[in-house]
Amino acid sequence: MNEITPLPEMEIVDRTRSWVRENFLYMRTDWKLGGDDPMLGSGVIDSVGVIELVEFLQRTFGIDIADEEITETNLDSLNAVGRFVHQKCNARSGAERRPRQVA
Amino acid sequence: MCGLAGVARRQPRGVATRMLRRMAEAIRHRGPDGSGVYADERVGLAHVRLSIIDLEGGAQPMANEEGSLRVVYNGEVFNFPTLREELESHGHRFRTRSDTEVLLHGYEEWGSGLPQRLNGQFAFAIYDRRTRSIFLARDRFGILPLFYALRDGDLYFASEIKALLASGEIAAALDPEGLDQVFTFWAALPPRTPFRGISTLEPGCCARWQGGRLAITRYYHVDFPEPAAEPSDALCRLDDLMRSAVGMRLLADVPVGGYLSGGLDSSAVCALASATSTEQLRTFSVAFDDPRFDESDHQRAAAGNAHSRHAVERISRSDIARVFPDVIRHAETPLLRTAPAPLYLLSRLTRRDGIKVVLTGEGADEVFLGYDLFKDTVVRLFCLRHPESRIRPRLFERLYPHEGAGARRGDFWAGYFLSSGSPGDPLFSHLPRFRPTCWIKDFYSPEFRHLLRDFDPLAELRAQLPANFAQWSPLGRAAYLELVTLLSPYLLASQGDRMAMAHGVETRVPFLDHRLFEFAAALPERSKLRGLREKDILRRWAPIALPRTVADRPKQAYRAPDVPPFVGPRPPEYAVELLQPASLRRTGIFDPQAVAGLLRRCQSGTATGTRESQALVGILSTQLWHHEFCERRSTAAPLPRASLRLTPKWEIA
Repeated sequence: MNEITPLPEMEIVDRTRSWVRENFLYMRTDWKLGGDDPMLGSGVIDSVGVIELVEFLQRTFGIDIADEEITETNLDSLNAVGRFVHQKCNARSGAERRPRQVA
Repeated sequence: MCGLAGVARRQPRGVATRMLRRMAEAIRHRGPDGSGVYADERVGLAHVRLSIIDLEGGAQPMANEEGSLRVVYNGEVFNFPTLREELESHGHRFRTRSDTEVLLHGYEEWGSGLPQRLNGQFAFAIYDRRTRSIFLARDRFGILPLFYALRDGDLYFASEIKALLASGEIAAALDPEGLDQVFTFWAALPPRTPFRGISTLEPGCCARWQGGRLAITRYYHVDFPEPAAEPSDALCRLDDLMRSAVGMRLLADVPVGGYLSGGLDSSAVCALASATSTEQLRTFSVAFDDPRFDESDHQRAAAGNAHSRHAVERISRSDIARVFPDVIRHAETPLLRTAPAPLYLLSRLTRRDGIKVVLTGEGADEVFLGYDLFKDTVVRLFCLRHPESRIRPRLFERLYPHEGAGARRGDFWAGYFLSSGSPGDPLFSHLPRFRPTCWIKDFYSPEFRHLLRDFDPLAELRAQLPANFAQWSPLGRAAYLELVTLLSPYLLASQGDRMAMAHGVETRVPFLDHRLFEFAAALPERSKLRGLREKDILRRWAPIALPRTVADRPKQAYRAPDVPPFVGPRPPEYAVELLQPASLRRTGIFDPQAVAGLLRRCQSGTATGTRESQALVGILSTQLWHHEFCERRSTAAPLPRASLRLTPKWEIA
């Protein structure tokens, strides 16, 4: 059985930063997007953009994000995204490592 | 309605009639039924006529008996029979049945006090030979346009900018600050236009030009006094005013029709018009192939209720693409939405069907607080009073129940509203609209950004608010901002008069009868916005004229497809050409690399939000506008403007 290794948090942050730059900051190449910079409050991402971000995270990192998880705490900065996705990946790989119950 | 133009010289060097005819020809679409010019050593006047009242006798320019006054006039004065009686009782003798002549005698009697006595939609110029002066006036809400420019003390004025440019003495050049306002408010705010040195007379203002100087005076001030309780006879008074406002606007010697959007406002207007008309009312609607924008079912129901003969202009995305350059030519400004395009096509249908006057429901959302923006304001204030509350922000989900799950619910959705400015900011109500619109400025080229330097349209607006603004309630302030930033410069202009008059159709706007406006402005706010129910008093009144299903129908915003007309397998050639890096570099306003990124996202179908759709339409329409007006038309030297900081790059040779 293959062991699923969660991506390091930094790699999640880097891949998300690249995607945000390509899709939301393509017109502002001089914009310095720091790890803790708010993406909603600063106008980088609007409410439609959040939908795109959620879809990107689900597609790229193979996670499911519930409506109630779409919060500023989880998604408003690159570092927040990194922590949130990393936890989700960890939880998923933990669940997949757990032995199956045999009836 | 009609079109007017004129020139007044500081020195008596004459005005060439061929120049006046060129100016008239440029706005011939506003008045296909006739034209006339007048010229002497100082002043020239031109007029194109859309004959609606006194078809035989209302030719212009019209002079008084002694020939000392001459008027060119665009519009309708709906209380002219009453004014005529009053003037006759003062000894004035009339030669025609037209409302135009009332302006001449009214000016003789009341001078610059004339506009306050008029109930209507108007823009006019009166030349007074005795004082060598020109008196200009525009209606209270800016239903009709009036532009002007000053050059070496000479005055040029016209219903549309293209007539000023046709004089050959006024140049078309970009005003960067005017454009920056478009990318903030959706339109340049009067008196500014996107054209350098060309201004528009502000709604509710008049002006006198004499000896090379123009003095502008505001004759109408809006106010939002708020009583504690709704008057007990409010519904009766609303009924009287609605019937009077609609009834007056049926005054015409030609058939009057109606535009039906399918919503409460236009349905009520058409129902009242139908009840008053002796002939079957003609009504007109736009329908969309895209069901997200279509309101056909509601339009048919409203037409059935009004027993009207109904015609529909069905709009596809390719229709919008096809006419969009014409739309920009008539609007004379960059646009952020394609919504005017269907109305351009609707006026063509209306005119082909033989109707040149229509009533519309425009203005009701401003007068009776119909827009979501007013609800947003109330809910944002409610939440910000207790920022720690987790329950209060859930109200935003109730505001937009159809937005679906995901990011338009919960924290993010509420955060979008709650982070959009503090209640102490005078622009609090409108910042959730202004700030995302400003995002288009991210596409500016560094050179254009440099031209604007520290220009801040929001700071300028804050500085120009009326003295009593701070005394109004938050919703009174919001209503005022909606009037001056959207209704006058965009809805009544780019989406209203200019699209209708492109095909010689006059729109009449009963909800902007100033008596009705003042009645509504003086009601308690909860009479208009009760909880989250918009236009409450209008909805309580509406069952008198409408079936319950129409009276209770929630508001649906009028929108048209924005991105799809311009992308896809076969985009219009002009869009491909004008959005190429070489075209963008030639114009110099936008960064080609940034626009390429936008196009990539539009073409891949990922640009689904308002910000990017507004950016695409705004950039394309600016390119069209620049190509149409600044690159092709003018050969005259640009006008000086004190506040302008331009490099020669923006001047037209």
